[in-house]
Formats: sequence, C-alpha cells, structure tokens
Amino acid sequence: MAFQSRNKFCYFKENGITDVDYKDVRLLRRFVNDQGKIMPRRITGSSAKMHRKLVRAIKRSRSIALMPYVDLGSE
Amino acid sequence: MRYYETLYIVNPNLENEALDITMGEIGTQLEKTKSKLINHRVWGKKRLAYQIENQKYGSFILLQFEGGEQDQMNEFNTWMKLNNSVLRHMTVALDEKPEVYVEEVKEKPVEKEAPEGTVKETPANEAVVETTSEETETTKDVSDESSEEDTEEKEAE
Repeated sequence: MAFQSRNKFCYFKENGITDVDYKDVRLLRRFVNDQGKIMPRRITGSSAKMHRKLVRAIKRSRSIALMPYVDLGSE
Repeated sequence: MRYYETLYIVNPNLENEALDITMGEIGTQLEKTKSKLINHRVWGKKRLAYQIENQKYGSFILLQFEGGEQDQMNEFNTWMKLNNSVLRHMTVALDEKPEVYVEEVKEKPVEKEAPEGTVKETPANEAVVETTSEETETTKDVSDESSEEDTEEKEAE
C-alpha cells in the first residue's frame, strides 16, 4: 500500500518531441522546481538522451535570461 | 556551411526607429562576415528572469543566418559584446536549415492592394483610364497591322 508504484514515463517520448528548444520556456518550466533547479531524471522520468538535451536547453535559456539561475520567488 | 541562430536582448526603452537602426547596424555587421541572413525579427518584449544592467525587461531579437568566415564571425561576436545597446547575446549552432519566418504576409498584401486601388481611383481615375485605353488602342493597332500584314502576306502567297 505505502509503496505503490507510480507509472513513470518520458514526457518527450510520450509527446513525440525529439529536440528541446531553449526558447520554449513553457516546456522547460516543467522540469525545474520552484527554486529554478533542474529536477533529476529519477523524478521526471525522462530518458537519458532527452534529459541531456533538456539540461543543455535549460542552461542556454538561463544564460540568455529567459529562465532564472536562482528563483527566490520574491519581487 | 552551418546554420546559426543568435538571440540578443536590446534595451526595451528603445523606440521603434532606434530599434530598427540598431538591428540594421547588427545586420550590416554580420554581413561583413560573408554570412547570409535568413531571419532577423523582433521576438518580443519579455520580462528578464534576472536583472541585466538594472533592466527588468528586454526586447528579444532573433537572428538566423548561414555561417560565413570563422575568424570574422569571432570578430562579430566580440563586436556584439562591445555593443552597448545589446544587453546580452548568445549564438547557437542549428542542426537544420531554419525556415524563413513569414509574418502574416498572406493577409497583408491583399489588404494593401485593395486600398491602393481605391486611392488610385479617386485622384487619378481619368488619367489611369486614359493610359489604359491608349495602351489598349496602340496594342490593338499593332495587332491590326500585324494581322493586316499577315493577311497581305497570305494574299501575296
């Protein structure tokens, strides 16, 4: 009961996404916690290949100020 | 040659004309690297995730091109860094040739053509009609002559 397994799936595989664009902030926001940290593959369930692409996209969008390095949630 | 994409942020307080001027400057600077411009368009004014040069907002401009000479592209990169109107820029290599961005051009020409026609009709309606009629007449004459000549030739034969 307590350890009922949840079906994890790769979001990208499920939706037929093969490339991750750094400009697509709405998509990238899914894979980041509210602090702006990249969530581990263990939790998101994305495949290793897509996770690498995802990480690259998130880091790119951070460097061009589309996504925060640190989201303190203030302001 | 590879295809590249440069996304850069410009001060949001620039007015449309000043923005056009800076975009033009950047375009000409890039053309010095012998690269071919494919797209150069304003992506939109967005809130920055963090402040850059005390700016909370920035207008993002997307520039897609086919790469030119490598040395000169590096120079372009440093030029962009030194450019004061550009808050930040980033160049990324693309896997595929980017599609040429069409900004609702399909609708606009139709709208433009209709008002132009109406405008023309009101001030110079007669003149247009005259020229067209003259043209038609001349063409008719020519056609008549040619036809006559043809007939004459035929008759001679």
